[in-house]
Amino acid sequence: MLEHYMQQGSSYASQIDGLVWMVLLMTGFWFFLVQGALFYLLWRYRARPGHKAVYLDDAAEHAFEVKWIEIPHRVILICDVAVIIGAITVWSDIKLSAPKHDEVIRVVAQQWAWTFTHAGPDGELDTADDIVAIDEMHLQVGKTYSYELGAKDVLHAFSVPVFRLKQDAIPGRVITGWFKPTLVGEFDVQCAEICGIGHGIMPARLYVETPEAHAAWLANPTHYLAYKF
Amino acid sequence: MVPARPSLVMMALLGSAASGCAAELPTEASARGEVLFKNCVQCHGDSGEGSTLMNAPAIAGLPQWYVEAQVTHFQTGWRGAHADDVEGLKMRPMSRTLKSAADVSLVSAHVSKLAVNRGEASLVGDVAKGQSAYATCSVCHGADGTGNEAMKAPPLRQLNDWYIVAQLRKFKTGVRAYEPADASGATMKAMAGAVPDEAAMRDLAAYIHTLPL
Repeated sequence: MLEHYMQQGSSYASQIDGLVWMVLLMTGFWFFLVQGALFYLLWRYRARPGHKAVYLDDAAEHAFEVKWIEIPHRVILICDVAVIIGAITVWSDIKLSAPKHDEVIRVVAQQWAWTFTHAGPDGELDTADDIVAIDEMHLQVGKTYSYELGAKDVLHAFSVPVFRLKQDAIPGRVITGWFKPTLVGEFDVQCAEICGIGHGIMPARLYVETPEAHAAWLANPTHYLAYKF
Repeated sequence: MVPARPSLVMMALLGSAASGCAAELPTEASARGEVLFKNCVQCHGDSGEGSTLMNAPAIAGLPQWYVEAQVTHFQTGWRGAHADDVEGLKMRPMSRTLKSAADVSLVSAHVSKLAVNRGEASLVGDVAKGQSAYATCSVCHGADGTGNEAMKAPPLRQLNDWYIVAQLRKFKTGVRAYEPADASGATMKAMAGAVPDEAAMRDLAAYIHTLPL
């Protein structure tokens, strides 16, 4: 259902969405159960003409706590363990391990622009044919990319919603990660860390292209986005 | 006890004012230019006096034609879209907050009316050497540094000295005037290429800073 609001554009997007769903369903279940019980009890034992409101006495309270608090608490703990196992599994798959990459792309954030250094036709970064583009990232669908993320000035966050990717960029550090685009199209890249007055106007575009279209771009690359009123 | 409702109303009013929801841009030209300029003051200062902290130059009193041209260049990517132009990349998105050519003209007109303020000298250079080298610059920018619109040469005398050095460096290295279609930029790029080194740039800036306003 999340994919109806935001397409899944990377190989691990469905895993992230699955984790979100798992947390949402578990917390949702308990939320409605607890709130339902609360409002039912408030209504059931309310004061009304001819009846006083019913309260627990001290003798009944301990047994009540065991039944209504301790048992659900332990069940919730089991749910927590399930969430932790799910989260660690996804974290391990995406953050602790990386598949062999086909290409490296360098991403540098600054107030208020993104610089993407593409490997160019030879597929190797830091060679003469590298293509540097401002605020536009061009990828070939189905290729696995490793990224090197840096920041020139302050904290930023490299957010590609369609990939379900959000990674802080920290001045002085190069942070590595990976993604494998699976969906051809044009998507948003955003900064997801307040970085100054221009934070809200720091978007970039992601172009995920077919091999043919990507080859055409490599042969005739753009270096910055045209702007029209 | 003070009732809660008035304070809630006040909070709502303050909230809407802070978010800008209640503000509509004025339609009267000069007032609109002044309001649009509020986006510039964060870096360029309340009076357009510039800020070394933000690496934002003094823009107060620059002619309208030049401000218009530069804002348009930032918008189209002719300026400020080079990966090594850290300051230009900041100006680029800010220029794009102006959503029409008319708004670019209005804010440029407002900037042109601000009192010139180039600040104190911030670097040391050999004024005599700078004066000698400036003979080349004066062909376009004028002996008095007042610029020449017909040659698309802006006034230099009101620029911060550190900004002059920074721009000469950018022209020389191709960080500015990288766009082949930018004819006036290409001219300046060639001229900056003739400035031999950083010391010569500082000499020029030091001399320009002595030109009377």
